[in-house]
Amino acid sequence: MAHANDRLFDHEMAREWKLKKSRALNDKRMPLKDAVAQYVEDGDSLVETGFAYARGPLAAYWEIGRQKKQDLVGIYTPGGLNNIWHEFGGIEGAHVAYVGVEMRGLIAPFRRGVEAGTLKVFAEWSHGGLALGLRAAEQGVNYVASKSMLGSDIINNNPFIKVAEDPWTGEPVCLIPAIYPDIAIIHVHHADIYGNGRAWGLQVNDTAIALAARKVVVTCERIVDTLDMRANPYQNIIPWYCVDAVCEVPYGAWPGDMPLMYYFDRPLQERVVRVEWKTPEATKDWVDKYIYGTENHYQMIELAAQEEGIDTLEYVKRLERLACAAAYSNLGVWGTGADIDWTYEEVAKRAI
Amino acid sequence: MSEVTYTPRELLAVIASRLIQDGDSVFVGTGLPLVGALLAHKSHAPQMMSIYEGGSIGPEPKVLPWSVADPLTFYKAPIILSMSSVFGHARAGYADVGFLGGAQVDMYGNINATCIGPYGKCSVRLTGSGGANDMASLCQRLIFMGLHLPERFPEKVDYITTPGFLGGPGEREKAGLIGGGPWRVISHLGLMGFDEESCRMKLLSYHPGVNPEIIQQFTGFELLVDDDVVETPKPTEEELDVLRTQVDPNHLFCF
Repeated sequence: MAHANDRLFDHEMAREWKLKKSRALNDKRMPLKDAVAQYVEDGDSLVETGFAYARGPLAAYWEIGRQKKQDLVGIYTPGGLNNIWHEFGGIEGAHVAYVGVEMRGLIAPFRRGVEAGTLKVFAEWSHGGLALGLRAAEQGVNYVASKSMLGSDIINNNPFIKVAEDPWTGEPVCLIPAIYPDIAIIHVHHADIYGNGRAWGLQVNDTAIALAARKVVVTCERIVDTLDMRANPYQNIIPWYCVDAVCEVPYGAWPGDMPLMYYFDRPLQERVVRVEWKTPEATKDWVDKYIYGTENHYQMIELAAQEEGIDTLEYVKRLERLACAAAYSNLGVWGTGADIDWTYEEVAKRAI
Repeated sequence: MSEVTYTPRELLAVIASRLIQDGDSVFVGTGLPLVGALLAHKSHAPQMMSIYEGGSIGPEPKVLPWSVADPLTFYKAPIILSMSSVFGHARAGYADVGFLGGAQVDMYGNINATCIGPYGKCSVRLTGSGGANDMASLCQRLIFMGLHLPERFPEKVDYITTPGFLGGPGEREKAGLIGGGPWRVISHLGLMGFDEESCRMKLLSYHPGVNPEIIQQFTGFELLVDDDVVETPKPTEEELDVLRTQVDPNHLFCF
């Protein structure tokens, strides 16, 4: 079996695969557990979607950990909380554009994995570089000629890109091949049972990824009637024919952000990356408790609420209020935003 | 009248904001650039257009975002585009200023956000480029903000994540990079620019309380000093007031 890195740039294989995908309007709903079991295969390249900690499919990533998938190849553009699995055999290596949580800091398991050589870095990338590679796959072109990454050391640590002469201008350009990940899991606000997906707020690379990846699992906050998707296609970012499974997973981006619905749990994220994952032992304890010790995403959220000493409903409501506060739309998704007399302090208090 | 007092981070934020002109389009990186950009927007540059790699363009942020994909960056944004599209804006000429942080910057303005120590045997693995490489490769002018310590201002960075003038004059063009490259470096000690001929970092102004000699002590290479070097004007009460009451009232970044 070829390595994921060989499949990643294989136009023909990607095309053959897609020629065989059904275009029929089939009901693709299934439980998240089943979708992960069936579509995430050991050794697959798994591309990050959303912006890792904003509209990322975190429920699915925790489930991947629970099912102890092996030797995945991460494509981190950016990579957030989904890179701890290498300490549990789950990730062989990665294509790295960025791994961290910005102001919340570096992610300790990623850092020590690379420093110790237990997590391979197959290639360094820039965000723009990976975005263009995925876009090239979406647009159906073999590669794109970019002005990013030239002159930098990234060029020396990425065997998949090439510097060439622009045949028109004679200038150096960086050629970025079309990228076809094995599997993408994309979390959206609404999906219908066939896999059409709608997302508000950031799109990042998700339309490109949905069309580039061989296998696509859509997780959504809510299944909606397909007539709704057809009547309002303007914010739909994923078409049904590239989707293999649809899973209704409310709070599926937790503890990340879901625009207009619930805000990052910033203290929790910070605690995790800085304290609870600080050593391999601490990380193992955390995984034992939060991942192996729970059966699903909701038990995990309950556990997080318990840790804060509050009722689960109160806990998620707080994140929902913050999301409405962050949105200019005074409706919010649930139509509750208008009731909230929010202040900067309300958001900021939770941010410390 | 009592003396204006401020913290080093507040000073950084104020200097950063002053480098942005009204009407500039600014590609905003994470960290202190978020603060500097918002302060400019809320004070002297209401017509500034900010671009975030999360996809938001032209928002009127009410509250300081903590991430370039924070929904707070979408606040009143008229459009949110994909990641390849926003970096495409920089290539196409819609981004005047790129605004970044990072771990190390060298005398030619090359920035390291990948690793401390030799690649493959590093002592500290950092985040990697994110959008930093793209911003520096494509924007018209680049501003870098960072702490001023000898190991953070080495003669040569351990890893060129983000290209400045590379090895010196002419190398940026030779590599095929576009845009003007590094333009300003803001540290907690001074404001630096780059010598037009040698492409080397040059001190333009030193912050109150230090002088060029002290700054040289904290720099890992010979820092050129501009003939017209001056003391950095202190933050005004008005600037600090906007920063403290409208941009970062809870002192999340500026403490």
